[in-house]
Amino acid sequence: MNLYLPIAEMSVNVLVLFSMGAGVGFLSGMFGVGGGFLMTPLLIFYNIPPAVAVATEANQIVASSFSGALAHLRRAAVDIKLGIMLLVGGIAGSAAGVVIFSALREAGQLDLIISILYVLFLGTIGTLMVIESLGAIRKARKAAESGEEANPAAALPTHRPWIANLPFKMRFERSQLYLSVIPVLVLGFLVGVLASIMGVGGGFIMVPAMIYLLRVPTNVVIGTSLFQIMFVTMFTTVAQAATNQTVDIVLAFILMVGGVIGAQFGAHAGQKLKGEQLRALLGLIVLAVCLRMGWDLVTTPDELFSLGTGGH
Amino acid sequence: MILRLLTALFLLLATTATAQEEKPGIQIGLSEEVVEISSSFSGTEIIIFGSIENGIAEDLKAGLYDVVVVLEGPRELVTVRRRERKLGIWVNGTARDFIDVPSSYSVASTKPFSQITDAEDARILQIGLENLSFRPVDGGIGDPLNAEFAASVKRLKTDKDLYLERPGGISFLTPSLFKARLAVPANVPIGRHTARAFMFHKGKFVESQFLPLTVKKIGFEQFTYDFAHQYGFWFGIICVIVAAFTGWLASVVFRKN
Repeated sequence: MNLYLPIAEMSVNVLVLFSMGAGVGFLSGMFGVGGGFLMTPLLIFYNIPPAVAVATEANQIVASSFSGALAHLRRAAVDIKLGIMLLVGGIAGSAAGVVIFSALREAGQLDLIISILYVLFLGTIGTLMVIESLGAIRKARKAAESGEEANPAAALPTHRPWIANLPFKMRFERSQLYLSVIPVLVLGFLVGVLASIMGVGGGFIMVPAMIYLLRVPTNVVIGTSLFQIMFVTMFTTVAQAATNQTVDIVLAFILMVGGVIGAQFGAHAGQKLKGEQLRALLGLIVLAVCLRMGWDLVTTPDELFSLGTGGH
Repeated sequence: MILRLLTALFLLLATTATAQEEKPGIQIGLSEEVVEISSSFSGTEIIIFGSIENGIAEDLKAGLYDVVVVLEGPRELVTVRRRERKLGIWVNGTARDFIDVPSSYSVASTKPFSQITDAEDARILQIGLENLSFRPVDGGIGDPLNAEFAASVKRLKTDKDLYLERPGGISFLTPSLFKARLAVPANVPIGRHTARAFMFHKGKFVESQFLPLTVKKIGFEQFTYDFAHQYGFWFGIICVIVAAFTGWLASVVFRKN
């Protein structure tokens, strides 16, 4: 079933895109991640122009993070003050990202930078996840042999002194933290840049950073992160649409519908697997996407030339 | 379409009948004047038909008249980039700009081009992909780098079905009446296209005629594209509202389950 995308200006197979949305939605429901970092590479592999893939994916994340954030808000599992501070950094980062995005696009290097960023981020995160989860699996096995209970809290490092010593401290009542706003703004900013350039929510950076660097209690981490991602991707969508005209609403809608349906089944399947097994599996998927993108960067392409319009 | 074809054919014949001059020439008509792109568009075909007028009867019967038909998309500035290896990674390196490059180019003829006219005429009239030349912004046409980059434009456009050659794609219905089928790919560029017909007699160029063909998006596609490009900010707001509504709907629907 073919459909003409009005902004991407190409004819695509709806069923293929719907399946991609559902597949990534399934994984994101199963692992509790946004899935932008899997969806954008898949769209690029499907020959959607990277500029359209990135901006459209930001729009799709609005839908998935909105329903997620709503659920966490209902349970009051969001530190709204912390979320707003992250958001301030995030909007600045997203705006900067859109400017960088336009400049790279004009220079003809956008596709390359997107690929390199993906290889770097996916490679690092995937490797860390696999190592961490294999360690956790081994520890759980040892604990089972010796009959002791594994203590996950022991894995958390002590509060980094350099973060504790930073000025401009603020009290975050919900998280029971007294913390400098600088690392919060910087973290929000970085995630905002990634949302614009890579078309990801950035949860895979923000969640570990909030847990390990800011020491935010785990019961509000996901909700606060979703709260920030929701508003940052909303801002990114509008900024990309206004600056680069690369948000394809039809493509985004197909992916959204596939995504929300897939996520329901994924969440169900995820309950049957253990946490560390899930993380190991996700780590392997992330590494596979990284290798596929990295492969395209280093192997001699079949076609050395590419066409663009508008001059260089 | 059949009805439109017949009407156009009738008009053609009528003009043929009323033409008083003895001067030989060519007349053409299109099966469609507008190609509309809707959500289900996956390419189409344009039929160009026409007649050779005031031809010498014996030569018409002997097939000494030839026709070449070209359907050309709007001309544009094209940047060609070559990937080069830097630090082990393939990056976009040297770039060259060309102006007035047809965004699409489809050609059909009664015979292979080399049998219709000599190389000189074919080059001047820019008939056939081989003879299509693009004006480089930097350096001359003779620059070997420009020649290599221009050749890659043709190769890339051919790979995308935007450039197409169909030698022998024109058939004569009667000794003077011909019909050409030209493919319009799914990714056809939007804008004003031109259909050109060239007439040859015994290898000599006689006359050419052209007709415009408009390719445009219609309905939802047209509206969305225009809106997104003219009111980007408000388009973004709508995208956000659609996404938020979808997300909210999903949370309501699946909570009940």
